[in-house]
Amino acid sequence: MRESKSAKLNQLQEDNHQNVHLSPSKLAKLFDPDASWDKDQLGDVLHWIRQVVGLICGLLWGSIPLVGGIWIILFLAISSGIVYGYYAMILKVDEEDFGGHAALLQEGLFASLTLFLLAWILVYSLAHF
Amino acid sequence: MATTIPLFASFKYADSLTVVGISICTALVCEAISWILIYRTSSYKSLKYSIDKAAKKLETMKTENPSSKLSIKKSKTKKIDRVETSLKESSRDLSLFKFKSGAVVALVLFVVFGLLNSLFEGKVVAKLPFHPITIVKKMSHRGLKGDDPTDCSMAFLYLLCSISIRTNLQKFLGFSPPRGAAGAGGLFPMPDPKTN
Repeated sequence: MRESKSAKLNQLQEDNHQNVHLSPSKLAKLFDPDASWDKDQLGDVLHWIRQVVGLICGLLWGSIPLVGGIWIILFLAISSGIVYGYYAMILKVDEEDFGGHAALLQEGLFASLTLFLLAWILVYSLAHF
Repeated sequence: MATTIPLFASFKYADSLTVVGISICTALVCEAISWILIYRTSSYKSLKYSIDKAAKKLETMKTENPSSKLSIKKSKTKKIDRVETSLKESSRDLSLFKFKSGAVVALVLFVVFGLLNSLFEGKVVAKLPFHPITIVKKMSHRGLKGDDPTDCSMAFLYLLCSISIRTNLQKFLGFSPPRGAAGAGGLFPMPDPKTN
């Protein structure tokens, strides 16, 4: 009993580690509307999409530079639009199976906002002063 | 090293890189401590496994028996309640377990913040590309002289670094709290507070 539970825990750990590394099959799954998604898996993918968008926007807007609070609102809109477009149009998932639009759209939102602000502030400060 | 110092010295706000660098190192040290004290222990692994299992079971049961169905059996409702109670108990145990071990990490963060404060008190470490709202300005202009609202203090930059770097590091290493745990996620998911 203990051994089977320990084996299950180890398998769970291995699965978590495997999720970090992207194999060709996993990359293909990211764009496959017929693929089946676990709530955790989809949540993680949406989280990382948000982080990448946040980082790119921060680096880009700090370089140009774009100045003003309106660009924060715009970032939130762009980031949310990309995430929505990904799960609704590319993956074509039923959001009700994953807790609704709110649950999917809030994945990684705050972390991406802080990452965006950090990148924006750093690039702006270092490149333009 | 000698060649990099003149390179960074040419940046007016090179101190921001120091703050970010120290934040990254602190995040790595904190996660290492958390791994030693929390994540590698069998108690944590079994609690996380229980929570994941209970959350998935609950989701399946609720999907099969949506609350709108009037004909839901009493036994099913009792079963759902039982699983929910088990989930809440496991989440509470997990929080308690992490809280005890999180004190060490909290101490490290406290010391690092104190060190940064002593190094950069009163210094403008970065420039904000926007005018912050009043609540944000209290943090972003903390300890700074003058009225320029776009001057950024160490505290605000460190806060941004802490949240973004630690959250993503925890996510990358697989140390984020399980989604099924009570209080996990939400609109503003912070780095796991029990390890802060």
